Amino acid sequence: MENAQLDNFKLSTRFLDVTYVNNKTGAEVMALQNINLNIKDGEFICIVGPSGCGKTTFLNTVVGLLKPSKGEILLDQQKIDGPGKDRAMVFQNPSLLPWRTVLENVLYGVELLKQITAEKKKEAKEFIEMVGLKGYENHYPHELSGGMQQRVNLARALTVNPSLILLDEPFSALDAQTREFMQGELLRIWDETKKTSLFITHQIDEAVFLADRVFVFGARPGRVVEVVDVDIPRPRDLHVKRSPEFLEFVDHIWSIIEQESSKQGFDNKEI
Amino acid sequence: MTKGTIELTQSKQKIKKAKKMKKEKKSFFISVASVLLFLLLWETASQNEWINPLFISSPIEIAQAAVLMVQEVSFWENMKVSGYEFVSGFVLAILIGIPIGVLSGWNSTFNAVVNPFISGLYVTPKVALLPVIIIAFGIGPASKIVIVFLMAFFPIVMSAQKAMLTLDQNLIKAARTFSASEFQIFKTIALPSTVPFLLNGIRLGIGQGLIAVVVGELFASTAGIGYQLTSNGQNLQTDRMFVGVLVITITGIILTSFLGIIERRFSSWKPENN
Repeated sequence: MENAQLDNFKLSTRFLDVTYVNNKTGAEVMALQNINLNIKDGEFICIVGPSGCGKTTFLNTVVGLLKPSKGEILLDQQKIDGPGKDRAMVFQNPSLLPWRTVLENVLYGVELLKQITAEKKKEAKEFIEMVGLKGYENHYPHELSGGMQQRVNLARALTVNPSLILLDEPFSALDAQTREFMQGELLRIWDETKKTSLFITHQIDEAVFLADRVFVFGARPGRVVEVVDVDIPRPRDLHVKRSPEFLEFVDHIWSIIEQESSKQGFDNKEI
Repeated sequence: MTKGTIELTQSKQKIKKAKKMKKEKKSFFISVASVLLFLLLWETASQNEWINPLFISSPIEIAQAAVLMVQEVSFWENMKVSGYEFVSGFVLAILIGIPIGVLSGWNSTFNAVVNPFISGLYVTPKVALLPVIIIAFGIGPASKIVIVFLMAFFPIVMSAQKAMLTLDQNLIKAARTFSASEFQIFKTIALPSTVPFLLNGIRLGIGQGLIAVVVGELFASTAGIGYQLTSNGQNLQTDRMFVGVLVITITGIILTSFLGIIERRFSSWKPENN
């Protein structure tokens, strides 16, 4: 019965613990404790939480760079054990190879996975068009603005055709205006591709604007404190951000995070 | 993101380029004038015997000597010997230096093995080894090849090492999420990252290698530009000696500007105002 239910989920984590060893003190630190969450196919999930709540650790574990110390993560009913072609990450830092053109960068993930074909090249060009960079295929990253570089970053992830896209605060380094604009763009692209997305941010309004559901993490150890269903109808445009219901969601999430932060006030100073 | 913005940025870049060209042209003419002025001053100083012409010769005399010398068989023989010594030593330094530098930057165990020797020998004045080298390899070209190799090797090996140690960890992390193997990371991130550093090391190596040829031949030899230069100097043929110096200088300029062309080809991806 329980298994039959799990089958419906794209991504589930079960009793997930992640610990790491602090380089300075040598002490074992529990970054994530008992994370149990289930994400449906095509869902847009945002994770927010106070700094140090293990958001990025969680993402790094899902992408396979870190190993769980307890529990497991299932993607399409397969246990995750290391990086794989079914996941692709969009980084906070664009992480583009500066000596490669936009097109070559977009194909980089596919190239590493040894899946380069004429078909893939065509797809890469289509994704470049989708992220709004048509005409820039042969430009080098330094010729692009920060927002445009993040578009390349996104196109690179889409081109490997992953079953899950992980986004690690991709807009945090952008200026406020570009960030707002990119949020709208991301929703448009997500709508076109219908990829299950896991988006980490420290901006609560960003999370509410993008997500179907927001997972609020608490800190030390990182764990899920609340799951907020954002039932604002789609398609959403930037005007939504001024609606009362939107602000209510933001306020609500703020209050949870505030509580969490005050609980660990002393812990914060230790770091 | 529209066509209009693309065209706008492109035309902006064109204006920037034109401005830069104008600036470059201006500084080029200033440089030419500066050199001409220097030659004029030199010539005047020599003609009026402000400084003894025996020490400094004069640009016109040097030019005349050069015209005579390029017609001598011995001059070209000497060029051939020095050229052979430099090229052999330098190619060896590149062929051995780059792999060792790259490997030691990539693999910490290998680094632990070779690094004591590299850092130790790097600060040793290689010229101090010349007497030993000449005893071991004789006064022929072999000893010069060894000293050129030794002097050009270190800038190259150190630059390769340094390049590997400054790899962008963000790029490596990105590659790992796409299941990249160590070899793929090495090939697609590490190697391309080293190119600018390597070219810089090679540039330093050219200077060191040219010094090595001259010093080696000066110390003990039977032929070569350095040999000719020394014997001219000892016979107070200052004009002929200066021709030798000039040959080395011009060689250095040609080699480094050739390197500049390669550098531009390999770094078309870099921001221009760097």
